[in-house]
Amino acid sequence: MSAHSNEQEDKIILGDQEVLKSDLLTLNMGPQHPATHGVLRVEIKTDSEIVVDAIPHLGYLHRCFEKHAENLDYRGIIPFVDRMDYLGAMSMELGYALTIEKMLGTEVPKRAEYIRVLVAELQRIASHLVFFGTYGIDLGAFTVFLYCFEDREEILRLFEELSGARMLYNYIWIGGVWNDITDDQLNRIKKFCDRFEGELKKYHSLVGENKIFIGRTANVGVISEQMAYDYGATGPVLRGSGVKWDLRKNRTYGIYDKFDFDVPVGTGEKGVVGDCWDRYHVRVLEMFESLKIVRQALDGIEEGPVMGKVPKIIKVPAGEIYMRTECPRGELGYHLISDGGKTPYRLKVKSSCFTHVSMLPAIAPGLMIADLVASIGSIDIVLGEVDR
Amino acid sequence: MHNQIAEFLNKRVDGANAVVNAPVAVVGDHSITVDSSKIYEVCVALKTSLEFSFNVLQVITGTDYPDRIELSYVLASYSKNLELILKANLPRGDKDNLPKINSVVSLWSAANFQERETYDMIGVEFLCHPDFRRILTPDDWIGHPLRKDYVVQEKYLDMVVDPPAKNNTYDQMFGKRLKEELGDPKRVSASWKDHSAGADSEAKDGE
Repeated sequence: MSAHSNEQEDKIILGDQEVLKSDLLTLNMGPQHPATHGVLRVEIKTDSEIVVDAIPHLGYLHRCFEKHAENLDYRGIIPFVDRMDYLGAMSMELGYALTIEKMLGTEVPKRAEYIRVLVAELQRIASHLVFFGTYGIDLGAFTVFLYCFEDREEILRLFEELSGARMLYNYIWIGGVWNDITDDQLNRIKKFCDRFEGELKKYHSLVGENKIFIGRTANVGVISEQMAYDYGATGPVLRGSGVKWDLRKNRTYGIYDKFDFDVPVGTGEKGVVGDCWDRYHVRVLEMFESLKIVRQALDGIEEGPVMGKVPKIIKVPAGEIYMRTECPRGELGYHLISDGGKTPYRLKVKSSCFTHVSMLPAIAPGLMIADLVASIGSIDIVLGEVDR
Repeated sequence: MHNQIAEFLNKRVDGANAVVNAPVAVVGDHSITVDSSKIYEVCVALKTSLEFSFNVLQVITGTDYPDRIELSYVLASYSKNLELILKANLPRGDKDNLPKINSVVSLWSAANFQERETYDMIGVEFLCHPDFRRILTPDDWIGHPLRKDYVVQEKYLDMVVDPPAKNNTYDQMFGKRLKEELGDPKRVSASWKDHSAGADSEAKDGE
């Protein structure tokens, strides 16, 4: 009798057919998996090839940066800040420097402000190029990866000349920047902009307009506007869902109010608003906007010192501040609580990638495993920033 | 703006006791402290109010003070372009009796990971959280690292977490060997050439 009842339970009604019921299979994607872009482990429960549930497990790269920060002086924190989002280190430094400067009331020289904008926007391009290339690999398009990394290398070589390091710069300091930029380097940036604009159009037509690519990304991993608000999504993920929100425009910082640029949003051109293709497209358009800003900064840059007046020993007045900046991957927030000493009492970093990873369990159900790879790629996470 | 919000909260939520904290120095941000037992009601009021409509939760963080734990909820409104630091004070509690506060996951899904991180790092229990466990450290980790009195455990499973000697012994041994075998390591590492033959002439070149 028991056997009989088992047979009954093994079958379920699907539509008007009676089919065999299958157990869920638990599968670990990561921590060493090329499609997770780092050491993220996603525990997937699958019904044949359909994902029923995806649970992200974090912490493989956790270094407790916030505890380190409590034991370091304000200048010594900058190299640690680099190591969060190692693909967008300049933007990380910029946010941190602005936070401390706002508390200190430091005036940053004009030339340093322009250099900061230059490097931050070039960094945005470099970071989006990594996304572009690796996203192509995720979806089986290898060619564009090589093109993207070649162009990125050009930017990194320039940063290496500026700061002495390829990826972890320690270049933007409290009060200005470490080293001045030369006219030769400015010329090279200009040449790069001219060349790269045409190249980027080529890459986009190679990948973004490709029928297979559109088939893999359109209507996949949709994040609606409401969901983006609910999960606190920021940056390209939020804009991909059709929200016109950019901190550089809406809560401007530094000298970004001087520049003229657009905020691209997802329009659902190939599918619905907020799908993977939209997020991809927003990033591509953002690179064009960054080029626009870089060109304007090259025109506007003026002679002068690159370091403002900062006390030898930095003591931030007691109080607190929450400062957020627009980084390549989203909004980065520094919540600094100071007790007036040489070290922060508490420095909390709001990481956009951490927020975006929390969306995975909401996007994943109902996707194919291959589409989950496309979704993880499209939210573009860096595990260094997720785990901090 | 902060005075308006505090007024609004006191009117809307019974026992919220919203107080505006002005920055200690001239610089810095304002914040609003509310009663920790009313945090959920306060968040409902802030989210649903037409005047402010804080529709996004940015981050939840905790700070450990000698006498209390201070939770900060950073809320933002994209439609009104506002930002607010909302605070709640909790007792510090002890290892077996962590401070407790209501979860706000049902209002903002963003709170899910943020509250788990706050529990992991600061040690605050969030009631009615759907998936309450550690997030960045392993599930069987002891202690909450961002508390000021945290002492790291000596061993986790079989791995030594907190070795008694903090220096890298391998590096030290390498340096010692270099010094014994090659004399002055500084000179050698600068050129990696045969130091016995041309050392003097090289030094002259350098000068």
